[in-house]
Amino acid sequence: MTRISTSTERNPSFRWLRAGGLAAALALGIAAPPAEARDVTIVLDPPSAETNRFWETSGDNNLGPAMQTLLGNDPVTGEIDTSTVAHTWEVNEDFTSWTFHLRPEAEFHGDWGPVTTADIVHSYQLHTSNDSILTGLTLLRGAELEVLDDHTLTFHLPEPRPNFLFAHAGRGIMLIYSKAQYEAEGIEGYDAAPAGTGHFRLTERRIGEGVTFEAVEDHWSGETSAVSTLDIRYVAEPATKLAMLLAGEADIVALPRELQSEATEADYAILSSTNAAMQTAFMFGNIYEEGVEGYNPELPWMDIRLREAMNRAIDRDVLMEVLYDGRAEKLVRFMMDPRGEGYAPELAERFDEDYGYDPERARELLGEAGYPEAFADPVIPIISTTLGGNPEFPVLAELLQVFFDEVGLQTEIREMDWGTLGGMSRARTAFVLRPMRNAPIRPSVQGLSIFYSSAGNPINFVETAQMEELATAMNASIDPEERGEIARDAFTYLYELYADIPVASVGYEVAVDPDTIVGWTYPGATAIGLSHWHLIEPVAE
Amino acid sequence: MASSRLPVIPLALLVLVLLGPALLADLIAPHDPYQSHLRNRLQPPVFAGGGWEFILGTDRLGRCILSRILHGARYAVAISAVGIVLGAALGSALGLLAGYARGWTDAVVMRLVDISFALPSVLLALALAVVFGPSFSAVLAVIVFVLWASFARQVRGEVLSLRERDFVARARVAGASHLRILSRHILPNVANTITVMATLQLGVIILLEATLSFLGIGVPRPTPTWGLLVADGRQFVVSAWWISFFPGLAILLSVLSINLLGDWLRDRLDPRLQQV
Amino acid sequence: MTRFALLRLVQSLVSLFAITVIVFGLSHATGSPIDTMLPDDATTEQIAALSRNLGLDEPLWRQYLVFLGNALQGDFGMSLKWRGQSAMGVVLDRLPATLRLGGLALLISIAVAIPAGVVSAVRRGTWADHLVRGFALFGQSIPAFWLGIVLIWIFAVGLGWLPTSGHGGLAHMILPAISIAAFQIAALTRLTRSAMLEVLDTEYVKLARIKGASETAVVWRHAFANAAIVPLTYFGVLAGSVLTGSIVVETVFGWPGAGWLAIEAIRARDFPVIQAVVMFFALAFLLANVLVDLLYAWVDPRVRHG
Repeated sequence: MTRISTSTERNPSFRWLRAGGLAAALALGIAAPPAEARDVTIVLDPPSAETNRFWETSGDNNLGPAMQTLLGNDPVTGEIDTSTVAHTWEVNEDFTSWTFHLRPEAEFHGDWGPVTTADIVHSYQLHTSNDSILTGLTLLRGAELEVLDDHTLTFHLPEPRPNFLFAHAGRGIMLIYSKAQYEAEGIEGYDAAPAGTGHFRLTERRIGEGVTFEAVEDHWSGETSAVSTLDIRYVAEPATKLAMLLAGEADIVALPRELQSEATEADYAILSSTNAAMQTAFMFGNIYEEGVEGYNPELPWMDIRLREAMNRAIDRDVLMEVLYDGRAEKLVRFMMDPRGEGYAPELAERFDEDYGYDPERARELLGEAGYPEAFADPVIPIISTTLGGNPEFPVLAELLQVFFDEVGLQTEIREMDWGTLGGMSRARTAFVLRPMRNAPIRPSVQGLSIFYSSAGNPINFVETAQMEELATAMNASIDPEERGEIARDAFTYLYELYADIPVASVGYEVAVDPDTIVGWTYPGATAIGLSHWHLIEPVAE
Repeated sequence: MASSRLPVIPLALLVLVLLGPALLADLIAPHDPYQSHLRNRLQPPVFAGGGWEFILGTDRLGRCILSRILHGARYAVAISAVGIVLGAALGSALGLLAGYARGWTDAVVMRLVDISFALPSVLLALALAVVFGPSFSAVLAVIVFVLWASFARQVRGEVLSLRERDFVARARVAGASHLRILSRHILPNVANTITVMATLQLGVIILLEATLSFLGIGVPRPTPTWGLLVADGRQFVVSAWWISFFPGLAILLSVLSINLLGDWLRDRLDPRLQQV
Repeated sequence: MTRFALLRLVQSLVSLFAITVIVFGLSHATGSPIDTMLPDDATTEQIAALSRNLGLDEPLWRQYLVFLGNALQGDFGMSLKWRGQSAMGVVLDRLPATLRLGGLALLISIAVAIPAGVVSAVRRGTWADHLVRGFALFGQSIPAFWLGIVLIWIFAVGLGWLPTSGHGGLAHMILPAISIAAFQIAALTRLTRSAMLEVLDTEYVKLARIKGASETAVVWRHAFANAAIVPLTYFGVLAGSVLTGSIVVETVFGWPGAGWLAIEAIRARDFPVIQAVVMFFALAFLLANVLVDLLYAWVDPRVRHG
């Protein structure tokens, strides 16, 4: 349990103002009423889509407190567990048949009854329908569902999918909706408030404002949340978010790292996920081999010496300090995580030697490559963009420019919104350096094939014969040990290729008011970083 | 009636905050406005505990705020000067044409004016930024779009009444060409209106630039436009208030003095102009 | 008069038609909604399927005709971002919030600017005049988003008098309404002042003075009643700029109105909602101006024959 010490006096810079203001406020009678102790207000970035139809979003789950997936995650380790509607699962040898056993006691909110295999089949159909635009849908689609009884069913997959469980926990792209509710109320019933199986029930969605959840008394799991009402509010403006925290209007706020010190100076606390929730990196556009669509030999970073020089130009200690307030780990390889398949510890050991800050070496490399004379267009376009959950991206772009300038690289910052950038990448014409994130951290093999092989077409950053071979072998293999070996080879290959600029591995952090919140343990294993809402521990009244 | 006394204080402020720095930024700025001093990030200004090296402090990348403001003046002048010249020229030309030619030309121009007023400029700016990517020219395009219509409407109104006046009729009888009537007889009579309007709109442009930066669709970083400086520092209101405060002050003082000058000009040149 | 009214209506319809073309063209020029809807790791099949689902594979002119036909019936299609809701429904749902906020802003502007403008004109050249004009100019010289943030810090965080942001009762509306009104106050004060100066200078008012009417009566009954027409005609522009002003201020205060909606829709390439909200803004603006023109023509007959 992450706990925080309680503070006494806070926000000294405004104390004098408030003292005078209080009397006047009383006189005017317009001060906001104090929030009830067990009602918790959480301020988050607005999600990419505000809807109760999860399958019609790209996977930005804002129904978390109410809706569960087949499997859950351990609050501390983040490992996939059976804390939700299934109590056991089995898989056959070649990862093509996955059988789940549902908990007989699991039931939907309201009067929609226990969870049965019919609900699972119904939910599967919703999430794989033509309207579905979920991330990583290929992992879920194409299965044949065999119902064995009311509480047992098997997913028969068309090919081995060793990472199938990631679709049900972690990425979690199949929420369990009630078939009974759908048959009784239709899609409108879901639009109003879908019944789920979580510790909270959705009571109201206010477009542009947020969602309110109410704790389920006597939850079937036996655990009941200490928070009675969970008011999640969507606010985009960082300055406003900070103000809400300092004014006592919010208990938990997803604050950009840059602003966290403003909160800690006023004695607010920062909570972090127990594990890294996200990796960030800057990608070189189109490291392709001749003949691949989008291949462009004119790009300066097609020369590996430039890629190494750029990596060496960066003082990653400063980067961690400026971007993440010092609370992040340098990332060795994008998509590689100590908990995942194919982790190569020797790369971490070699990292300083190969990627470490060395502006001298960077200049030498540029000289060897004949930069800038030998290049048709030596200017490196760096993309500055904003993406919910990554407020550091614009600063990252500016910092890279600073470091690159230092060693004599010519740069240009281009501002672009995430959608336009995606369109460019989809057209395979993103001839730029762009930021990318990996959240939640994908299983290694999945991440490697999506980002670095033609399996990720159209948005894949690397496409070379050698990597294609590795990716094909990796995906075909059903021997865990062998998969690990191949993944490790792939990581090493990409590492030596300087395939991108790995930046950081970071936890998902929130600023909290220690007067109202004692702690909250969440593993950082889900798409939005937060989960395990019932473990929010409010200060007892 | 109008006071003829030159408004000295606004004029002095304008020179001090806007024109002077714009001309002399290279000479007087203590640092390169783009140069990061990563070891000196978020330094407070000298009177709030900082050192003399960074008089008004530094931003989150350790760039000198004072130097950025001084260089920012250059962009403020460039954007507002080019914007106002283009906007006023386009608007006035169309206004002259519409008011003088009347008939179909007038109808078409006035519909364009309607359309231009009816489309919310900020939304248009957002769409343009998404299409072309934020850039200096995109910002200018939005400014011209916002400005031209009010010039066109005002000038057209005045031309409509001027063309009925005796001196125009006399010129026509004397066989003067349309071009000559427009340039010699009508334009000089609307010149004051255009001048006063242009002055008053300068402030609007500076504010618009700031708004576009706030929405992330202004001149791209790291160009130190005032709007970007304020927008970029707005989150650090408590711990590093100087990042946005001083650029904000520069905007406030410049726009304030421009507006005071504009008022004074109006009183002198065109007291009946009710443009806002 | 009827002929003038008809003419103005027809003109507005022509403008509105041109606006449909612009709005449709611009929204499609911003790229494809697919770019924002689909995740980064979407496959080629997913992209093709969604494109077909949304009818984006049809030729542009046909998409436009479908859009126009439906728009005439008030149907802009289903929202792409707010799944499960119609675009018009989303707009109508958010509109009251903007109208309330805009209405309060307008009220504040009038309540402050009219007396200020009158006082400033009557006491021309005195310290009161300078003070009023300086104060009014101040509001016109500060970026609205910055003013909003500063107000939040002083009145919500520092003094704790008002909520920082969000949607709720009157208390939630005060700070954003002031942020919007600040700019309008300056404009309206100036207009009132110059209109008053002009009227105070007329024979009519001088006559009233000579007749021994009290100063209050001269100023308000004789002068202001005649000068009021000028600020009145400005309301068309004012209403429009209140809507525009709300776009930025709603973002700062997390006020879920139509301005916020418009920004979100553009960012998400939600064509149906972009089209619905912009058409709505345009329609409101054109109607307001037709009304103002008619009002003006009714008061001042020269206009309709001009």
